[in-house]
Amino acid sequence: MAEKSATPGVAPGDRCAIGISFGNSYSSIACTIDDSPVVIANEDGDRQIPTVLSYVDGEEYTGNQAKALLVRNPKNTAVAFKDFLGQDFKSIDPTHCHAAAHPEDKNGTISFTIQDQVEGEPSTLSVSEISTRYLRRLVQSASDYIGKKVTSAVVTVPTNFGEKQRDALIKAAQAADLEILQLVNEPIASVLAYDARPEAKLEDKIVVVADLGGTRSDVAVIASRGGLYTLLATAHDYEFAGAQLDKVLMDHFAKEFMKKNANVDPRENAKSLAKLKAESEATKKALSIGTNANFSVESLAEGIDFQLTINRLRYETIARKVFEGFNRLVEGVIKKAGLDVLDIDEVILSGGTSHTPRIASNLRSIFPGTTAILAPSTSPTALNPSELQARGAALQASLIQEYESDDIDQSTHPAVTTVNHISNAIGVLTVSEDGEEIFTPIIAPETAVPARRTVHVEAKDGGNVLVKVVEGGTHIKVTKPEPKVKENGTKEDDDEDSDFDSEEEEEEHREKIWKIGSTLAEAAIKDVKKGGKVEVAITVGNDLSVIITTREVGGKGGVRGSLKAP
Amino acid sequence: ALPADWSAEKDFKPIGSITAFTQRTIEPVGPHFLAHARRARHKRTFSEDDRI
Repeated sequence: MAEKSATPGVAPGDRCAIGISFGNSYSSIACTIDDSPVVIANEDGDRQIPTVLSYVDGEEYTGNQAKALLVRNPKNTAVAFKDFLGQDFKSIDPTHCHAAAHPEDKNGTISFTIQDQVEGEPSTLSVSEISTRYLRRLVQSASDYIGKKVTSAVVTVPTNFGEKQRDALIKAAQAADLEILQLVNEPIASVLAYDARPEAKLEDKIVVVADLGGTRSDVAVIASRGGLYTLLATAHDYEFAGAQLDKVLMDHFAKEFMKKNANVDPRENAKSLAKLKAESEATKKALSIGTNANFSVESLAEGIDFQLTINRLRYETIARKVFEGFNRLVEGVIKKAGLDVLDIDEVILSGGTSHTPRIASNLRSIFPGTTAILAPSTSPTALNPSELQARGAALQASLIQEYESDDIDQSTHPAVTTVNHISNAIGVLTVSEDGEEIFTPIIAPETAVPARRTVHVEAKDGGNVLVKVVEGGTHIKVTKPEPKVKENGTKEDDDEDSDFDSEEEEEEHREKIWKIGSTLAEAAIKDVKKGGKVEVAITVGNDLSVIITTREVGGKGGVRGSLKAP
Repeated sequence: ALPADWSAEKDFKPIGSITAFTQRTIEPVGPHFLAHARRARHKRTFSEDDRI
């Protein structure tokens, strides 16, 4: 993602760079201390800072303070504006601004009319200006924490953020005196946050990142090959997100309220609705941590207080439709990438809604046991889903802050980032005791070239060994134990009673197997010791030419040969 | 196992070349990408890069 730097950047020596995750609902800031990322709390003590800007009596408020003002000062409060950057008025969905300042079309730019002065006429503020003011406050919080003026940042953006939106974001940041070093795709920042941990091992794997947010959910399938990341497929959804879960709770509490107070619907009064929404979100968060949560609002409607307890099970029942939407979203994007759930090695849950335990356990049931589901409730080593993007951005910022901005631009240029990826795996064939040919992958499919990998293959009998290098593809083999009626291959685990049944009922067995493709080369290694090992190293060049080197482990010499580019 | 009649020059027999590939975009993020970009811009190979 090459972005043009309109103004000369800050000199590398004078930089103080942070990572920013700038969301519609919440934003976060992070820096690195001794190479490990730290998410910074603002002056209110919040690490997830609501993306809200509000004015009362000429005073500017952001974060949770501004969010609280949605009840008594909605007209001068701007929310959910980040997705409006660089957009045409016609293409935006103002739903989430309904209870706050409304976006308007002012000479082609999306604007809000807000009373930001003590006296006088309300100001017309473009979405860019709103973003600038909000970013300025974020950067101020980071500067206060670090004790040094923050000059630069890496900011995360959704994968479907267009060129115009990226430019608008860079301009808004520049107006806030912030140099944007690079814009990084959100799912990639999440993967980086995990891969940069000291205990992480560098592996070739397929990762699904499910970023479940407040106003939108984004899912991406990523091939991680030797620490290089390639997006294979993405999906974006605005129907299944945190706001829909809030809505489920709002309706539930409103109905309960009406049972006790007939003819008073708190959803029909703007102020009551704002209170209902704020408390519903708080209850939702509490249900991610505890199995019981309290909902209580003073003077919810017509001066009547309301209090109710809800347990997690009840919440999971009423929110089931939304939860199932997340499952379909994840399954859909895997299909879009041309893959199967068996191909997925890791699922990273990111975004605030990912704290919901039920969503992680639903995903657990879709994927095979070998797939790691990285969420707090399914993995003890999982990171906080809300912090992933800011951490990834902070890591990237620390990696590139010493570079000249020209260097960054040149390195992110498509000439560098657009490369060949091999579609099939490359590996060696070995013959097992029962005479079956077994494929051992050396380079995984969808690996970017140039690439270099080495494996050790056992040569049990020793003697003269033939190393056969072949291409391989995967396919899914389905074996049914006994013909039994089943709708299809995928397991729906959400029927009320299927939790029990799925354990007892014999399910069809699906496994991933290698299909051997065309042979690339053969090489002979002579006089290998009994039980010895043969090392095979394969390097694929930029032009897809292949160099194969093979020798006995511990032996001398070896065989080396090359294949022409296709 | 090596068939008895198998022979090739210097014990290596090239047979095919890579059959299927696509152009895709790698994400310009992370330490390994920066190493890749450095190699790409200086037109170095892996082994040359290792020596530096």
